[in-house]
Amino acid sequence: MAAETARRSRPPTLLAIGQVRYQLLLLLRSPLGFFLSVVFPLLLLVCLKVITPSHPVDGLPYAQWVTPAMCAFCLLNACYVTVITSMVLAREEGTLKRLRGTPLPAWAYLAGRAGSAFVTSVLACGVIIATAVAFFSVSIVWHAVGYFVGATLLGIACFFLIGAAVTTVVPKTDTALPIAFGTMLPLAFISDVFFSVSHPPVWLHDLASAFPVAPIAQAMEDSFNPATQSWPMPLSGLLVVLGWSAAAIVVIALAFRWEPGPAPAARGLRRSPGSAGRPRHRP
Amino acid sequence: MVERLRKDYGTVRAVDGVSFQVRRCEIYALLGPNGAGKTSTVEILEGHRRRSGGSVRVLGFDPGTGDRHFRERVGIVLQSGGMDAELTVREMVSLFAGFYARPRDVTETIEQVGLTAKRRARVRTLSGGQARRLDLALALIGDPEVLFLDEPTTGFDPNARREAWDMIAGLRRAGTTVLLTSHYLDEVQNLADRVGVMSHGHLVEESTPDALGGRDVSGTVISFRLPRQLRGSEPPAGPWDRTAGPVGEFTMHTDEPTRVLLALTQWACAHHTELPGLTVTRPSLEDVYLRITGQAGIGAGDGR
Repeated sequence: MAAETARRSRPPTLLAIGQVRYQLLLLLRSPLGFFLSVVFPLLLLVCLKVITPSHPVDGLPYAQWVTPAMCAFCLLNACYVTVITSMVLAREEGTLKRLRGTPLPAWAYLAGRAGSAFVTSVLACGVIIATAVAFFSVSIVWHAVGYFVGATLLGIACFFLIGAAVTTVVPKTDTALPIAFGTMLPLAFISDVFFSVSHPPVWLHDLASAFPVAPIAQAMEDSFNPATQSWPMPLSGLLVVLGWSAAAIVVIALAFRWEPGPAPAARGLRRSPGSAGRPRHRP
Repeated sequence: MVERLRKDYGTVRAVDGVSFQVRRCEIYALLGPNGAGKTSTVEILEGHRRRSGGSVRVLGFDPGTGDRHFRERVGIVLQSGGMDAELTVREMVSLFAGFYARPRDVTETIEQVGLTAKRRARVRTLSGGQARRLDLALALIGDPEVLFLDEPTTGFDPNARREAWDMIAGLRRAGTTVLLTSHYLDEVQNLADRVGVMSHGHLVEESTPDALGGRDVSGTVISFRLPRQLRGSEPPAGPWDRTAGPVGEFTMHTDEPTRVLLALTQWACAHHTELPGLTVTRPSLEDVYLRITGQAGIGAGDGR
């Protein structure tokens, strides 16, 4: 039938772009997401700058160190915390199930989520850096800007993938925020996001370097250090980041759910690598 | 369309060997009490759930593996939820229109479900009935050939139900095939061309709403009071059973109401009297429904 051949599906790129728009619109209309991603890190930057005595960190003025650190914190909020809370909410409210019943492909939905996390992150980092340059006499290290962009992109991709993977083990809406913050904040503390741990105990250092937050945050911070002359992420750090991302992709492929409700116990996914986003999985 | 369908949840068999076929442009209703397996059946047909056995074809597709091409051609109204509270009605409908190759007109669809006045309102401000109408708009926006409606009017007030029924009947005229589930008998009576009654995972009867349980002829109840002139005498024998009642009151059951009425009226005329309080009642759909699902329940219990 002519009518049936006319039903050629929409071009996938258009669908994905539409999804990015949709997710950004949702984010703008939900104060929590916007607050977490943009306002909160900015507030923290200002507070930390004002209350911290102006002694140098790693040989740099404090503001020069804390600005990229707050950018890393932005990424964690926009790509990890917000992704977990809003995707679990969408699943539990039945939005994902409804979308599943339309021709929208699964990857286009995830691409929309990733795209909106990317836009939010870039926007938030822009606001942070602009504020720091304007008011705290932070200077951009131009020869290392490429490194900063590279580390930021890696961070966005890695944190987003882990966030999406963690949604598969979050049973309901109420537990999304505690799980997201409960995993992110301790990691951020030991991973040089809020302050530079100059002489950490060996075990703490080992623990932090098993997770992807430390390599990304440290690479972003080093990119604001004029002394940095080469790509600031050691190979081991890069491998940790890529390993976690790959594991997250596997979890998403195997366990991503569109239906509300807790994960089917029979599948036994609670011990999968994606749930290792929780510190307790560390031996 | 559906053959020997089975769905197990663990050891519970929610749908057990259900077979039925829905023709193009017809409204088919799955009727049954809560827990009868209606929603499981429909969700398998929609592609939301995987079946445990049997075979299913919708528009020639297997919904279990049906991809985008399948979902381009069906519309689904869920029992509840799944809408972004902070979007407006129009944004929501436009968003969904963007998923389909050949969507209907957004303004027209909003008009059709009667939400034009609310098109700029946020979804969270809609009343229950309005949200269900938006739900219907989202299912219609892709111009589906088959529409699945899971309990489309649960929670509606009587006016809203009437409107929803008119809308659904209008879709059939426009050539859409509709599969709906319901536990309202009047809904089925008003809308459906054919009805399948489900109970305990079985399809226990399939017919038109009017003929369900053979109620178009069988089980007619005729009752009257015995007039004074006829006290002590019995009505003529015929194909009827009398049920016990107060003295002088007759209540008879028959599968041949025309013959029995003729005999009764001739008998009364011959004695130059009236039959006071004469009524002829067909069993209500509800009676039949309770009988069918009740029997099936007992039958299934015995079978174990």
